[in-house]
Amino acid sequence: MKHPDILIVDDERRYADMLARRLKLRGMVCKVCYDGQTAIDCVKQDFYPMVILDLRLPDLYGTEVLKRMKTSRPEIEVIILTGHGTEMDREQCMAVGAHAFMNKPLDIDRLMGIMDRLEEQAP
Amino acid sequence: MTGEVNSFLSAVWPRFQQTGDELHLSHYRTFQDYRQIWGMAIFVLISTALVPLVVITMIYYQLIQRSIDTESLLRTERVASNARRAVTFFLEERLAALTFTVNEMGYDRLTDPGRLQDVLQNLKLGFGGLTDLSVIADDGTQVAYAGPFNLEGKDYTDQPWFRDCLKNDACVSEIFSGYRDVPHVVVAVKSIRDDGRAFVVRATLETERLIQTLSSYKTGEHADIFLVNHQGLLQTPSSFFKGESNRMAIAVPPFAERTRAMMKTDASGQQIVVGYAYIATKIVPTSFILMVVKQKAGMMKVWLNLRREINWFLFLSALVLVVVITLTSSFMVNKIFQADSEKAKTMAMAEQNCQLASIGQLAAGVAHEINNPLALINETAGYVKDLFTLKKEYKDDPELLDNIDSIIEAVERCGTITRQLLGFARRFDVQNQTINLKDMVSDVINFHKKEAEYRDIAIHVDIPDGLPPIETDRGKLQQIILNLVNNAFQAIDNGSFLDIQARADADDRVRLSIRDNGCGISEENLKKIFEPFFTTKKEGQGTGLGLSITYGLVQKLHGNITVESQIGQGTTFVITLPITAKKETQA
Repeated sequence: MKHPDILIVDDERRYADMLARRLKLRGMVCKVCYDGQTAIDCVKQDFYPMVILDLRLPDLYGTEVLKRMKTSRPEIEVIILTGHGTEMDREQCMAVGAHAFMNKPLDIDRLMGIMDRLEEQAP
Repeated sequence: MTGEVNSFLSAVWPRFQQTGDELHLSHYRTFQDYRQIWGMAIFVLISTALVPLVVITMIYYQLIQRSIDTESLLRTERVASNARRAVTFFLEERLAALTFTVNEMGYDRLTDPGRLQDVLQNLKLGFGGLTDLSVIADDGTQVAYAGPFNLEGKDYTDQPWFRDCLKNDACVSEIFSGYRDVPHVVVAVKSIRDDGRAFVVRATLETERLIQTLSSYKTGEHADIFLVNHQGLLQTPSSFFKGESNRMAIAVPPFAERTRAMMKTDASGQQIVVGYAYIATKIVPTSFILMVVKQKAGMMKVWLNLRREINWFLFLSALVLVVVITLTSSFMVNKIFQADSEKAKTMAMAEQNCQLASIGQLAAGVAHEINNPLALINETAGYVKDLFTLKKEYKDDPELLDNIDSIIEAVERCGTITRQLLGFARRFDVQNQTINLKDMVSDVINFHKKEAEYRDIAIHVDIPDGLPPIETDRGKLQQIILNLVNNAFQAIDNGSFLDIQARADADDRVRLSIRDNGCGISEENLKKIFEPFFTTKKEGQGTGLGLSITYGLVQKLHGNITVESQIGQGTTFVITLPITAKKETQA
């Protein structure tokens, strides 16, 4: 497998599933979560090198989820993918340690580019 | 000079002009017809000021008039009364003298011609005014005469005074010419002879003495004093009533025991004051009426002069009042008009802001709701594309890929719109920096340098070096200027110009205006220009969000944006921004 496993966190189930399928076509194995708490638990239990995180989640706001993930596993790389991100969100997320901030609708090639660069930097 | 005249005229006669772009504000105004309010104000003020003034003057005139009337009646009456006493005394004195003579002398001595001459001489010395003296028997024959005329033997039976005298024991005749053909008055007394027959002693009085006595009571050139008989025939000359008829031109006043005065109108319509008295001696009544006639106009002369002066004063006071009231009213109503115009503008702007804010909220809601399904379409189409791209058998089918690409492209365009919509509605944190406006404008112009050269567009930038730097969000201000310059470039033809000007305004604000001489914007479109999705460009060429986003950004920077435009003349956008930033409250 070329890429490490990915955790997709998005409350829009069909969107999350579809994204997982697209990434799978590109040779990645994805796990999908539909709320923030489950995602945090997943990260605690298993190691996911990369998380694709939506901001608007039914239980917790994305920035909070990001903070907790980074607290439990600082080495984790999180890419924020949101439909309604404000400048303030972007700044907050980048400050807490997000790797990238992307808007929906997603440009898959840009996402792939980011992932490739991460791969290259990885030890 | 003409400027001063114009400013004075507009101070007196303000026009309350509403320029074309203010006409749509009329329903925000408190009043509609300022000309009417102005007129009413002047009318009410002038009425309340002038009516009492005029009424009091009128009342004053009335009082003066009445007191003058009373005064002139009293004075005329007094003159008439005095003159009456003099005339009565004149006649009484002579009648008494005659009575005394008759009683003293007796018929026999009186008919002695020498004695009668002596008596006449004594009477002339004692009283004067006598011309002759005669004794007439009861059959009317003159038996003795002393005096200048030779009238002995004349018969007086038919003379009215003779008959009166026999009847009433004494008489005073009217003034008449008689046998001697000279005007005279006869006073006569009857007595009884020793044989029981009656005889009459007559004295003729000079009228000159009577006329002189009357004249001495004449006061001024507007007064006349004369005697008439009971039929109105003049007995002494009158300066008012002259002519062939020898008759007084007013009606004979009714009998009264005492002196009286009254107002009358003479034949020529002039007002006169008439005082009169029926002359009666203690011994016998006479047929004389004493008349005093005064022209009222002459007596009023002093008052009329005074009244003219009062009228002038009244007129000047009224004129000053009218001018002061007009100026004050014009000033006040003009101030109200200006304040109301300001209020109307503010209200119109507030309403527009409100409208835009609600449109913004709606737009944000729509954007949120559409973005999720849009993302899903994107991903699904992407997945389908992935499937085809990654599987060899479809990889080289260009038609399939084209179709999917067009779906993804459409989704991208929708995504751009939703992002812009959110940008319009959302309040971001404003990051304040100190910015030199001149540098920023030249940065923005640099983006367009090539295009301007290519299209031969002249860009004038007029920003003074001394303009204070402003504290604001660099990104947003840059976006604002960029949007407006973009807009202008789209509006102007090749070879036109673009004018960018900045000035420090009052109240610590900077005013930036961007003016082009392009096609202009119609009045109707001008109202909607800041609304989202409003565009005049062809479909697909513009989203209609540029100016509404600019509007939102200016609001975020606590600024203000206005636009003025005329079709064919060009458009000017004016932005005012505070020099020092206010603290943003997070929404």
